[in-house]
Amino acid sequence: MVDLFSAVFQRLNFLTFVIIFLWGFYIMVTRYNLVKKLVGMYLVQTSVIFFLVSISAKKNSTAPVLLSTTEPVQALNYANPLPHVLTLTAIVVGVATLGVALALCAAIYRRYGSLDEEEILKKLE
Amino acid sequence: MSHHFPAILFLLPLFAAISMPVVCLKHRQWSRPISLAVLGAMVVVSILNLISVINHGEVRYAFSGWTAPLGIEWVADGLASVISVALSFLGLTALIFAGPTSPKDLGGRIVHYYVLILLLISALTGIVFAGDLFNLFVFLEVAAISSYALIGVAGGRALFAAFRYLVLGTLGASLYLLGVSYFYAATGTLNMADIAEKLPQLLTSKAVVGGLLFMFIGLGIKMALVPFHAWLPEAYTYAPESISPILAALVTKVALLGWLRIIYWVLGAKVIVYDIPVLLLVGVLGSLAAVIGAVLALTQRNIKMMFAYGGISHIGIILIGISQGNQIGFVGGVFYLLNDAVMQAALFFLAGVAICQYGVRTVEDIGRIGKQTPWVTGPLIVVALGMIGLPPTGGFFGKWYIILGALEENNYIAVAAVLLSTLLTLAYFLKLFEGIFRQKPTQADIQLGEIPFPFKVSLGVTSAAVIILGLFSDPIVKLLLNHALPPGI
Repeated sequence: MVDLFSAVFQRLNFLTFVIIFLWGFYIMVTRYNLVKKLVGMYLVQTSVIFFLVSISAKKNSTAPVLLSTTEPVQALNYANPLPHVLTLTAIVVGVATLGVALALCAAIYRRYGSLDEEEILKKLE
Repeated sequence: MSHHFPAILFLLPLFAAISMPVVCLKHRQWSRPISLAVLGAMVVVSILNLISVINHGEVRYAFSGWTAPLGIEWVADGLASVISVALSFLGLTALIFAGPTSPKDLGGRIVHYYVLILLLISALTGIVFAGDLFNLFVFLEVAAISSYALIGVAGGRALFAAFRYLVLGTLGASLYLLGVSYFYAATGTLNMADIAEKLPQLLTSKAVVGGLLFMFIGLGIKMALVPFHAWLPEAYTYAPESISPILAALVTKVALLGWLRIIYWVLGAKVIVYDIPVLLLVGVLGSLAAVIGAVLALTQRNIKMMFAYGGISHIGIILIGISQGNQIGFVGGVFYLLNDAVMQAALFFLAGVAICQYGVRTVEDIGRIGKQTPWVTGPLIVVALGMIGLPPTGGFFGKWYIILGALEENNYIAVAAVLLSTLLTLAYFLKLFEGIFRQKPTQADIQLGEIPFPFKVSLGVTSAAVIILGLFSDPIVKLLLNHALPPGI
């Protein structure tokens, strides 16, 4: 048990990721308002992005810009830049998805006069 | 020149999509001829690419000269090349079909409609050729975002169906990305070939196992594998008639190709993770999908809904084929994938003609198209033969090789699942044919005139393709055996 606790609390970034992910998932599943569902969905996406960034962090390291051009490069001194680049792409994808989703929400509201899933389902029948 | 073909195949529709809003600013009627020309060029280039891959072996294309594992790599091996031919061919027929069926009230937005179709096709090409896991994610999402928007174009119920698809699809994509980041954390690379080299020592690592699980669930949602299929039937049923053929034929199949890449090219064929053989798991999921999808199809009254569930069950049959872990089973699965893409396109063309031309949506009404025209009943009979799996259609040979592969592994449960799903498919097509041939035409049944020429072209071409795939199954299977096999089987 103690092992489990220490394993969890030594990985604070992972703990944070799990909390945000599950929180977002909970909102997605339990809320009937479509925009609230989207908030949950965006939290899920953001939690994954957070995880990607956090695994690139290193103690006593800095941004990957060469400190000196004469000395040989010490990889230990620099944070890994690749996850950040992946993150940028993932953020763009997330924003595009959210844009399409909000457009769909607006169209649904114009058509059915409501954003509540249950009310819309009633009108569909 | 020939090694640039994969990049050209992807960039053609992408550039056309990006430049179209500018080119068609004044003349929006140009958007359709331009899209048709681009897809026609893609068919030519993909066939040239296939020929060059057959003659000179696979092409590994490094974008702007940065070689893997540092750069972005595209892998045009036999499998990807064959699938890209099918993709551009079906894209072209679907675009021919899309002309008369596209929603009438689009006005100036017709340009954006074609932009979205071209973006969808370029993203699918990207998934087919992608050589690293993160590019696969990006293209999956580009394809998914264009399909959400295209489904929503129909308005009404389609909006809600598209919203549900969006929420589930984004959850799937996030899980897939999570899996990719686990893999990256464990191996430090994203290139598939590079991961495949580093993975065998890491198979007991919890990060790899967790990442694998998340990637499988994420792609499972994208390809509508049975426990995660809830979004598909509604989305495909309420999507515009011109869009459902493209979606049904291509999107789920290409996501399945992603799974195939991860199982065979990244993990390796016979891999066992924590005492569970991955292929066995895939086989069980496939068998479940094959049977459950067909049972659900049998209970539907709406014809598009019925075909959508049929597609879900056929995803299962493909998975049964590729999960056997021997050459015959794998080739049978891939051959069935090609057949299924053609048949799904043809089925949704038929449903589109039934809806646009005769206003028929349910099995009860379908008697109305009964004696109308050989252009509808002819292709319907051909495609039904293919879906059920009777010779001389390609569906028969696909199932034949899948069953041969399963018998080679003494896997009788898989054989039983294929046969059961075949019987159920027969049952729901009998229901359809009973509707067509038994029902007396009612007085509401006015003569509705000839169907437009583009419908005839797309229906004729796809049903001819179902037969041609059957007649030439032997050379195609030989080609797949020689050029499209994964390493290790």
